[in-house]
Amino acid sequence: MLKLRELKLLRASVGNSPRALSTRPAANLSDEYTEKPEYPPIQDLSFKARKKRAAQTWHEQVKNVTTVEGKLIKVNMPRYYGFRTIMLGDERVPYNCLPLSQHYTRTLFENVQKLPDFYDAAGESVDSFAKSLQGSIEDAVGFATLCFRQRKSELPDDTPPAELDRLLGSEIVTQINRLLLMALRDDCAHLSETEVDLDPRHEAFWFVGGVDPPESVKRMRDGVEWQKEFVNDPVDRAVQYIGRPYLAVRHRTPLRPIRPMQEEGRETLEKVPLYKYDARTVGFATTHRHGTTIPGFWPGSPHEFGLLSYQCRDYLLKNPDVGPDTNDLLHAHGIQSSFGWLLGQACYQGFSTYNDITYPLSTQTVITNGQYWSFYVYQLNTTTVHSDCVYNNPKVNYCWGLSQTKLFEEVDESGKCIGFNEDVLKNLIHFYANVPEERVGVNMKPYLGKAEQKVADIEDDKRRAFLERVFKHLMANRPRHRLVPETYTWEKIYKIDNNTRPLEAKRRFFELGVNPFKRRLDDHYGYYIPRDLRPLGRRSKIRHEKNYYP
Amino acid sequence: MSTRWYPIYQRGNPQLRVFLPNFWLKLIRPAHDQPPNIVQFHCSMEMTRHDVKNYLEKIYNVPVVNVRTRIALGKTRREPLKGFVLKEDDMKLAYVTLPKEEKFEFPDIFEKQDLAKQESDNKALEDTKQGFKKYLERNKFRPGLPGWFSI
Repeated sequence: MLKLRELKLLRASVGNSPRALSTRPAANLSDEYTEKPEYPPIQDLSFKARKKRAAQTWHEQVKNVTTVEGKLIKVNMPRYYGFRTIMLGDERVPYNCLPLSQHYTRTLFENVQKLPDFYDAAGESVDSFAKSLQGSIEDAVGFATLCFRQRKSELPDDTPPAELDRLLGSEIVTQINRLLLMALRDDCAHLSETEVDLDPRHEAFWFVGGVDPPESVKRMRDGVEWQKEFVNDPVDRAVQYIGRPYLAVRHRTPLRPIRPMQEEGRETLEKVPLYKYDARTVGFATTHRHGTTIPGFWPGSPHEFGLLSYQCRDYLLKNPDVGPDTNDLLHAHGIQSSFGWLLGQACYQGFSTYNDITYPLSTQTVITNGQYWSFYVYQLNTTTVHSDCVYNNPKVNYCWGLSQTKLFEEVDESGKCIGFNEDVLKNLIHFYANVPEERVGVNMKPYLGKAEQKVADIEDDKRRAFLERVFKHLMANRPRHRLVPETYTWEKIYKIDNNTRPLEAKRRFFELGVNPFKRRLDDHYGYYIPRDLRPLGRRSKIRHEKNYYP
Repeated sequence: MSTRWYPIYQRGNPQLRVFLPNFWLKLIRPAHDQPPNIVQFHCSMEMTRHDVKNYLEKIYNVPVVNVRTRIALGKTRREPLKGFVLKEDDMKLAYVTLPKEEKFEFPDIFEKQDLAKQESDNKALEDTKQGFKKYLERNKFRPGLPGWFSI
């Protein structure tokens, strides 16, 4: 494998390099000389500067890809078997993960008593809506709870409590959302143009800098004389958010920003915590996978901007030791889910974890199990958190969050809602009444092509089909066709750790110095073309189809 | 819980035997940097997460939020003379999360003793070096003479 690849590289370099002895004369002698000598800029040739330049070139390459899918594939290009990724999401929200969530999303969090002043304008009308709707919402909650009880009786007795919690939340949220959309439609015209996703996939992938290097990296750097000074330099980590909200509401136009997007002062920037430890120390899992970015729809849907999402909180029941710090977990989840969804939306506008957004996006998040509700308003000002952006990026994201409150005390046998809390309903109606607005004079997709903005716009049939297939394959995250080469335990013991078989031929990948995880996504042949189907005839030597990787 | 067998009662034997549980926890210095509210232990292989939690809470009154355990594979090495492969025992590690306000710093038990000992060691080494240098200087022009020859 290694040899083949080297051979390929060699061939490529022979084919593309200019001929060393070519003596082509300049087209015009006057082009060759200028009044003042023009020198290329003097570049810093230190290791760090070269790495930085290489990274900038890479970011520029991602920026220059014209399609949304192309960009998402491009980010995955360096790894055939995916990146080692930290998994965030609603599956597991570990204790005390708020600082980590803030660092990884570059978020300034504010725990507020009421929604930001931005919502005050709609105060009176919302009060009147809440008064008129309270009765029907109580009925809906009662009805949904009765439905849940009916379904629960049909479920096996050992159904985990977290699953029941999610089921109840799902029933209540679906009813409330349906009711509010119907009831407010006349007064809030934008609600009649929304699209509702039930059980959508909310996924986002990004890179985070400023994390302490693992021991192995430190040891490696320490072993190289000139790298000794960089031993403790922070490293980047790939992060994947995977959420499965109950439902999400989308619109054609984005919500208005809560506050203007601006560069913050040092004092504000220092308020964002820096979590330097490995994410596993706090309880997050890591896995090898491709980065997937899906905000609940595929590129091309006209409803590209989220209004609000309902997240579940069943992880609290899976992790019962939390005690009084429940609100911290909810805040962390609120930050993660809002950032995850907004980053997905930003990526579908042509931005990425490397190319920062040029205008703010905002969203509203509700975390609930039907009875307990907490509300979050999030404004995305920046998507770049990688490498030294953690220290240098002058922009931060903002999150305002309310602590959990009960919507009702209980629902009795007859389905009557007892102890209904009108304030929760008001907050919720505020979210629905927040009118999205078209951004006038803003180029929403500056980094996408003019004719080609998504793969479906591509004219070339082969290229379109190829990119579509690769994109869906990556986003499905099924295992690669060729599985990761495995090191058997006996090999680890008798070949790698202890050299007990020195005379055997070295044929396995670890004996040839190949790291399978460093393999690039395009490091494979295209599909085989049978002789009869080869475009240049049976005798043609072009045996494999072309790749169209971005 | 002990893994020892309780002997079958024979007439005349003492009737009550109490075996201590083979549960133990050993505080270890973490190899990787960890947040200050996380403490790492080496524990007996039979202990579960609940056991670790109860052990710390009930015996030492340490507030515990949660416990994660894993079994670290023991390293293998060659037997120096015969050359076969030996394996060290696996060990169970427990990562105990304390409430976030708590801070734990691994104690530096031997630091002071070490310093004093190191100083005296260094002094002895330096003295020996000086002595040897003197000896070489003295015998510079009479190579091959044994050390006991001069007075």
